[in-house]
Amino acid sequence: MSTKEDRERIELLQGTLDLLILRTLLLGPAHGYAIAKAIEMNSDEVLQVEQGSLYPALHRLIKRRWISVEEGTSENNRRAKFYRLTREGRKQLKVETSKWDKLAGAIARILRPAD
Amino acid sequence: MRRSKRMLDDLDADIREHIERETQDNIERGMTPEEARYAAVRKFGNVTRVKEDTRDVWRIAWIEDLWQDIRYGMRMLRKSPGFTAVAVLTLALGIGANTAIFSLIDAVMLRSLPVEKPSELVVLQWNARKSPKIHAYMSSGDCPSESGPAGERDLRSANPSGCSFSEPMFREIRNANQFSGVAAFANSGPLSLTGNGPASMVSGQLVSGDFFRTMGVKAAVGRVLEASDDSPTAAPVAVLNYGFWQSSFGGARDVVGRTIELNGAAFTIAGVAEQRFTGIAPGSDYDVWLPLSAGPRITNPMMWSSRQDNVTYWWLTIVGRLKTETPLPKAQAAVSGLFRNEMLYGSVPLFDEGGMFGPLGPRGGGGPARSQMMIGGPGPGPSGPGPTTGGPRVAKAPAGSGPRDAVVVQGPMAPPGGGPQPAKIRGPSDPKKAAKGQAPAETTSEARTLSKPDDEPNITLVNAQTGLTGSRGRFANPLYVLMFAVGIILLIACSNVAGLMLARAAARQKEMALRLALGAGRTRIVRQLLTESVMLAGIGGILGIIFASWGAHAILSFVSSNQPRPLTFAAGLDMRVLGFTVAVSLLTGILFGLAPAFRGTRVDMTPALKEGFSASSKLARSGGRRFTIGNALVVTQVALAIVVLVGAGLMVRTLQNLRSIDVGFDSHNLVIFGINPSLAGYKDAQIDSVYRDLQGRLTETPGVKSASYSMIPLLEGSLMVTMFHWPGTPQDRQSESYVLEIGPNFFGTMQIPLVAGRNFTTPDYEIAASAFASAANGSARPTVPTPVIVDQAFVAKFLGKENPLGKRFGQSDASQEGPASPGYEIIGVVRDTKYSDLRQEISPIMYKPQSGMGPALAFEVRTAGDPQALVPAIRKTVAQINPNLPLRDVTTESQQIDRLLFQERLVARLSGFFGLLALTLACIGLYGLLAYEVTRRTREIGIRRALGAQPGDVLRQVVKQGLLLALVGTAVGTGVAIGVTRYLKSMLYDVRADDPVTIVAVGALLVMVAMAACFIPARRATNVDPMVALRYE
Repeated sequence: MSTKEDRERIELLQGTLDLLILRTLLLGPAHGYAIAKAIEMNSDEVLQVEQGSLYPALHRLIKRRWISVEEGTSENNRRAKFYRLTREGRKQLKVETSKWDKLAGAIARILRPAD
Repeated sequence: MRRSKRMLDDLDADIREHIERETQDNIERGMTPEEARYAAVRKFGNVTRVKEDTRDVWRIAWIEDLWQDIRYGMRMLRKSPGFTAVAVLTLALGIGANTAIFSLIDAVMLRSLPVEKPSELVVLQWNARKSPKIHAYMSSGDCPSESGPAGERDLRSANPSGCSFSEPMFREIRNANQFSGVAAFANSGPLSLTGNGPASMVSGQLVSGDFFRTMGVKAAVGRVLEASDDSPTAAPVAVLNYGFWQSSFGGARDVVGRTIELNGAAFTIAGVAEQRFTGIAPGSDYDVWLPLSAGPRITNPMMWSSRQDNVTYWWLTIVGRLKTETPLPKAQAAVSGLFRNEMLYGSVPLFDEGGMFGPLGPRGGGGPARSQMMIGGPGPGPSGPGPTTGGPRVAKAPAGSGPRDAVVVQGPMAPPGGGPQPAKIRGPSDPKKAAKGQAPAETTSEARTLSKPDDEPNITLVNAQTGLTGSRGRFANPLYVLMFAVGIILLIACSNVAGLMLARAAARQKEMALRLALGAGRTRIVRQLLTESVMLAGIGGILGIIFASWGAHAILSFVSSNQPRPLTFAAGLDMRVLGFTVAVSLLTGILFGLAPAFRGTRVDMTPALKEGFSASSKLARSGGRRFTIGNALVVTQVALAIVVLVGAGLMVRTLQNLRSIDVGFDSHNLVIFGINPSLAGYKDAQIDSVYRDLQGRLTETPGVKSASYSMIPLLEGSLMVTMFHWPGTPQDRQSESYVLEIGPNFFGTMQIPLVAGRNFTTPDYEIAASAFASAANGSARPTVPTPVIVDQAFVAKFLGKENPLGKRFGQSDASQEGPASPGYEIIGVVRDTKYSDLRQEISPIMYKPQSGMGPALAFEVRTAGDPQALVPAIRKTVAQINPNLPLRDVTTESQQIDRLLFQERLVARLSGFFGLLALTLACIGLYGLLAYEVTRRTREIGIRRALGAQPGDVLRQVVKQGLLLALVGTAVGTGVAIGVTRYLKSMLYDVRADDPVTIVAVGALLVMVAMAACFIPARRATNVDPMVALRYE
């Protein structure tokens, strides 16, 4: 949703959501809501997961076989879908992470050439 | 895809769960449940949208895009109906013409034989280094080695080959058990059907008992022939053709068990063959199938005793079905061995060193009647020369047959009493053959080399699909030529539509720029444009299929109406034709869509967006390139049109030349029909009196000027050759001439003027009859030479300046070949005429008085008025003599000539049509280009006019451009045409492949029509009002 009311929050760049999902799942399988919460919390609530885009992203990752899905029981004993990082997903995460580092570095150098 | 479905099925639950948790969290944060829920839902967002986005993930993007492209394309096409209509129609004509011709090629050449697993079927073909020494050779004409170009290698050639075998050979091959089935067949000759309404002529095939089993052909009704039917003691049965059953028996199911009479012999109908089977060779169509053992019933039994067990009587075509466990080479080696043994070491030496084939030895002929040239030696069959023997078979060569029918060996067992002396009758020859035939050459017997081991006779197994060509060969050439023509038409149509697309692409530049600016990928836009062009081609293709089915039917019915028998090539839409059309449409769409698509996306965005069209500076810049493509397309179209037009022009000229040939007699108002009194039970002398009686009655029929008869009609495709010894030539040399036996008043009826001497009189006929009788049964030797009348070519060839009248030739002393013969005496000379075929050059012809030889012959009736109108009266007159006398092939001489020319007419007509189509398309292209340019340059023209240019200047400018394009195109096209038309050479007559008249005429026609096409847009340009033009856009 819009983040107009909270200017501190930053909308995710296109494509980075996938990276964040993969990174989150590196810690262990999680269900959809938990992934969204984890991203928000781990970024100190700076990153706002547009929840509407979470599900398409999850499905995209499943389709690419970077994550798998399994039935499970959540902490409060409710049936839920758990998403788990696959081996390919792990590899992809490395690739994406290094790409991101390069990008971030490059942007940083431009923005702060003094450094 | 299942994965995606499962995932999506759970999506609802997942989302619900998600919102539930958020709500829970919110409650824990202290919201009221209602607030908590509202906040959660709000945070999640538009559920439907999320679901759609998620679903999109699983969607196959290109199908989606394609669908989008198609919808968009539809919209664009609907938006410009004029463009769409012209493009679709152009493409439909191009694709339709291609589909039509291809469906004919498919039907005639590609479709598999109408039998079970045709790939397993092989036809046996023998090859040898020298001619076998046999007495008779007859072919079904289904084999290319006998009717194709290889027909040059006829039996007398150095490397003879063929597909006919003796019946003992067939039995031996069958007993060798190398095939899972072996069948033999032969034409039955003419059959007169009685017992089912009025007498009629039907065509039949004699087949061995295993024929239907080997072919895998089942019965539609009743049963097909079985092995047990093929025995002299079996009850005579017949199997009907499905179509014949429908047409002649009304498809009655109770036809099984009914009795019909064929040539007076009773046959029980066993059943009807399944519908798809009309005969094994392509295009063949037999009304009835009879077992081989029925042969003696339908013709003179005497000749059958010689046939069944005679290894020197080759008359059966053999087809075998390969066993899965016996590969072709093995089977071939086995049957080859059998054949070699039979040939070299059989009871009758067929291939000894003296094994010359044919009557080429020094035998002067035992008499005129005997000197008809035979295939096979003069050796009398076991029956000896019977009283009615010696009848040459009148083989009906397929009318209008083309070059590939170089040698049509006659169908076996023509009229009963054919005897052991079948005359050789050649079909219309191809030019090469004609060259051989036009001047019947003296033939000397030359010694042939002895056979070496590798020269030994052998058998090749040829796949039946390629080996049995039937009447396919006659259509191959015209069809390939036409396919080439329609291919060019399609190219013209393509470049025409490409021109239209290009103009439209220019008009859509703003749209393209907008789309590019909005972030559309260039490939995406190219794809969009290609989708549009393929859609156009697709719609064109669908319409084209409709055009094609009309066209193919029209062509087929034209072809059929020119055949003595309807053809059974069914030009239907099978998968192959549809596949072809789809492929052609797709290819077309891509071909004409590609260039404009790339052109269209090469847009300089900013000016295009900012100024659209009005930026004349930009137009001038990009205009240069665009109109080079446009110009090139128009030049291409004109050039291609020229190629088609020149080809068509040559074909039309060929037809004109053939039509205007002086055939040597008056071919108008002449009815021709065949008659065979022996089929109605007349014998010997009775037959001659039937002819005289009929001649008299016909002459008295109102509307008939005169009537006569001859062994075969002139210009029907058949011919007869006779051999004789010309005095002064070496003793062992035989001279050759065409021969025609004629009835009284033949020359008067045909209006062939006598240039010297006299006509035949009654005593002449008596002499001929006694000479015949002497030859036939050895009665009193004739002492008087048979009077003959020859044509001028005969005089020129044999006599030169010598006075022909009274000249005697063809004498022979008594020898083992026959009694001494006094030969012939020339009593008259007539004008030259064409004999069998229009393309054949005038050749020596010798006319003899008709003499008891013909159990069947042709009548010529000269009518005062419309010959067609007199046919019923003629039929009535014949019926007065005997209602059971069946008439065959009732036609007029002009129709018969048309039949001979059917191939030329077909090609001339179709290529003429295609030529005009090409011309029209090219001119539409030219017109379109100029019209577009005038519109585009309205403003420029307006400025020029405002600055004082006269209307004439403007007109000249536009016409000049168009004319220049047309002239360049014509020049290029003429060059290409000259390069290409030489492949037509074999189809042309009396016109060179680079005939300057045709080329100049075609060029002039094109330039004239192009002028007209330029004029309309040019006129519009002159009407431009400067004030309006300057405000344009």
